[in-house]
Amino acid sequence: MTSIDLQQARLFKWKKFATEGAGRLIIFLVGSIILWALISEFLIARPDRYLPSPLAVLLSSADMLNKGSLLSFYSDTLTRLVIGGAVGIVIGIPIGLLLGLNRFVADMFYPLMNFFQSVSGIAIFPVVVIWFGNSDTTVLIVILYTSFFPIAFNVLSGVRSVPVRYIQAARTLGASRLQVVRDVLLPGAMPSIAVGTRLSIGFAWRAVIAGEMLAGRPGLGNMIFSGQEFDNTAQIILGMVMIGITWIVLDHFLLRPLESDTIERWGLVSR
Amino acid sequence: MSGEAKLIIQDLCHHYPDEYTGESVHALEGINLQVYENEFVAIVGPSGCGKTTLLNIVAGLLPYREGRAMVDGNEIHGPGPDRGVVFQEHAILPWRSVARNIGHGLELQRVPKEETRRRVQEYIDLVGLSGFEDRYPHELSGGMKQRVAVARTLCADPVIMLMDEPFAAVDAQTRITLQDELNRIVMATRKTILFITHSVEEAAFLGDRCIVFSRRPGQIKTEIKIDIPREERVWKDMADNPKFTEARDKILRLVRQEVTSDDEH
Ligand SMILES: Nc1ncnc2c1ncn2[C@@H]1O[C@H](COP(=O)(O)OP(=O)(O)OP(=O)(O)O)[C@@H](O)[C@H]1O
Ligand SMILES: [Mg+2]
Repeated sequence: MTSIDLQQARLFKWKKFATEGAGRLIIFLVGSIILWALISEFLIARPDRYLPSPLAVLLSSADMLNKGSLLSFYSDTLTRLVIGGAVGIVIGIPIGLLLGLNRFVADMFYPLMNFFQSVSGIAIFPVVVIWFGNSDTTVLIVILYTSFFPIAFNVLSGVRSVPVRYIQAARTLGASRLQVVRDVLLPGAMPSIAVGTRLSIGFAWRAVIAGEMLAGRPGLGNMIFSGQEFDNTAQIILGMVMIGITWIVLDHFLLRPLESDTIERWGLVSR
Repeated sequence: MSGEAKLIIQDLCHHYPDEYTGESVHALEGINLQVYENEFVAIVGPSGCGKTTLLNIVAGLLPYREGRAMVDGNEIHGPGPDRGVVFQEHAILPWRSVARNIGHGLELQRVPKEETRRRVQEYIDLVGLSGFEDRYPHELSGGMKQRVAVARTLCADPVIMLMDEPFAAVDAQTRITLQDELNRIVMATRKTILFITHSVEEAAFLGDRCIVFSRRPGQIKTEIKIDIPREERVWKDMADNPKFTEARDKILRLVRQEVTSDDEH
């Protein structure tokens, strides 16, 4: 196969994946919305206060869309998430790799890592505010901090779980230590890297919502909490729905195809 | 034996330290062994006598302190592409297709793409895996995986191929097929091979020379020449090949002695 053939095959597979699952995804979403509408209509005494109907939420979003605030909240939050999360993951992978490779380094830094892992992002928030004020930097640092640990720890354990046989096989084929990292340890750690990435993004979501609220930066998180302040339940639910749907879409179109191309193709997960 | 010695082992001993008891396990004692160019040397011996230990030392996966071990005149320090290893199982990389596993050695040596492709195809054909180039290991049977492992090692063109019970994990029928195939491959490539096995039959069928190990600490007890031309080594003809049955029975007796004297302890 030439590389162009291969790229086309990949693209084709991705398209197939995207469209195949999209139908099921839409059925699921529509089903959930109907259920939600029914509950709101028939089971809740004061829906506007406790559980507004999907229509009410939609109207509230139309209102905010008109004012332009919804889109700007959404893009603010997403930008923070992507930057903070990406930097956390990009730093976390090599550090996890390094700790997984070298017992000596690992033994030295492990207690430190453990210490900070137990101190959640929310707990360091006040001190970051003291350093950087109620700024975007503060929110970004908290996201980065929270998303770093899950990926680093998962890469660490992923590297350690690669069977020694594979390393030996590569070494006897003439692989240098660096080549062992590239050809054996990184791909071997892929299942853990995938799990770690999911966890990191999940953690980043929590951090961005809490961070915006505590630092008072505009965004979805802030929107949710100001919704509570002004008794605007529809606005709260709108924020929640947008977060959830973004995650589902991100997962479905980015992470899952990536996983199916690697660890599933290699038979490293049983499905 | 004609040709030069590709592998030379002199007065090799090995002790495994035991961190918990402070005692050490004496695995090998005074091994002297030479493997000549194009020779197939099979090692048999009771379980735990140090066969894998010896192979790992030659492969460079286990450091040694007592004695010497040289390949092609170079003292062994760590693993290298001059000594290819076929392990018992679970050693081909799950994230590489058949073709990319087989070409891995060449890729590591930065051999040009076109030449790599050509040589990979050659070895895929040799081990009978044409049509499976783009499959991944989890889609292969145990026997096919071992074919990939053999092709991968051969493709990197080592000075000597080391095999540690490579067919022990497949079923009896497949094992016979693989032994026939290996024999054919040996004829075609004239590789120098050090082969470790539990199976007396396998040793007698494949080896030009069979080394029998004593029980632990492993020492060379005897060696037996097996003077059957490669072309005659086909399993279906072996039952009435007197040279084969004779060698097999002799090796069996020697191994038996070791195992039974072990029981008396
Ligand atoms: N890493 C190790 N640490 C301590 N002792 C070891 C270690 N590896 C092997 N041994 C001991 O050294 C001896 C020789 O082991 P080795 O694996 O070389 O035997 P073997 O001949 O290959 O056995 P088998 O035929 O069962 O594969 C055994 O008694 C074993 O318990
Ligand atoms: Mg062994």
